[in-house]
Amino acid sequence: MRPADPHAMQPSKPGSTRTAPPQVPDDFWTRPRMLTYLLFDATGIVYLLVGLVVLRVAWALTSAESWNALMSEFASPGYLVFHAIALVSALFVGVRFFRLFPKAQPARIGPAKPPPRPILHALLYVAWIGITLVLLAILGGVWP
Amino acid sequence: MADENGGELRKRTFVITRFDPDKDQVPKTQSYEIACRPDWKVLDALNFIKDEIDPTLSHRWSCRMAVCGSCGMNVDGEPKLTCKTSLAEYGDTVEVAPLANFPVIRDLVIEMDGFMEKFKAVKPWIIVAKEKAAEEGTYKQTPEELAAYKQFSMCINCMLCYAACPVVSQEPEFLGPAAIALGHRYNMDSRDEGAAERNEVFRGPGTVFQCSYANECSEVCPKNVDPAAAINQAKLNAVVDWASGFVVKRGK
Repeated sequence: MRPADPHAMQPSKPGSTRTAPPQVPDDFWTRPRMLTYLLFDATGIVYLLVGLVVLRVAWALTSAESWNALMSEFASPGYLVFHAIALVSALFVGVRFFRLFPKAQPARIGPAKPPPRPILHALLYVAWIGITLVLLAILGGVWP
Repeated sequence: MADENGGELRKRTFVITRFDPDKDQVPKTQSYEIACRPDWKVLDALNFIKDEIDPTLSHRWSCRMAVCGSCGMNVDGEPKLTCKTSLAEYGDTVEVAPLANFPVIRDLVIEMDGFMEKFKAVKPWIIVAKEKAAEEGTYKQTPEELAAYKQFSMCINCMLCYAACPVVSQEPEFLGPAAIALGHRYNMDSRDEGAAERNEVFRGPGTVFQCSYANECSEVCPKNVDPAAAINQAKLNAVVDWASGFVVKRGK
């Protein structure tokens, strides 16, 4: 065991008996479920980097030369690995977020009730896949 | 090795956290090797140790049927109701420790007063502006209205969710899963008129927004209360309540 915050779950007034300070198991942060949660949060770093890359892309729109230079830079192994990591992160976050999203919805919003959780879960995937296909079609020049 | 009924006994070593407030500065562990029956729960082994080997061992338990919520402990690092946790799930060595994130009074007995304070803070009772007179009859509720909060009313206050929560271990002010689930349960109750008061508590120092949705509370809940769902629904309600305060003037 190792220490938790010493004030965790402490009463506002100490009792008559001396207590041992709160502890957590040594492997608290490395258990599979907790590790999954930490990885989920850590993907924020990946999205920050993706955001910076997007800014670079926007900056490269200023001239054809800088755009072509950036595109050839994107073909480098480093960028390919980074984009692969970004893709895996997006899939991982999507799957976990979609699993937890339905139950976080209120029982009703005014007179309206959200659809049953399995349907809401499925709708999220439909929307995700649909938007991805539309973006792919636009970027691939297939549509519109 | 067999018991009197012919059942196969299995030797297991229990590594149990011990703490005597009169002698110890910090908790230590003590090992007990016992022959366990195949149908034993973790609590059966603890009771056997206390009854037959070491009467100084202290632990809480009562109903033995996962209703009273007394026997919560960390078993191999995971918060469990020991009366509901079969030894068949474990190997030859089983670690039993008091619930994580709580101060320890003695051995496996944790200090509950901090939890009770959080509980009271969410006003877990029906709040009405004006009580109905007895002759006006009872407060009626449709099955649909009951369904809106029933799941969140199944909590047995076992505190496993607090032992599992990564926020509780780092943010002492956080109201925590069971208290927020209970507050949300009353906010969802059609007979209640205290949602505005509770939402102020939810936005206060122990705010619901400290929850990072790790979902651990719901993973360990033995009654499928799903406190993580309650907390995240309470977040939205607390925001809507805050925003509506700009539009609708509230009476005191």
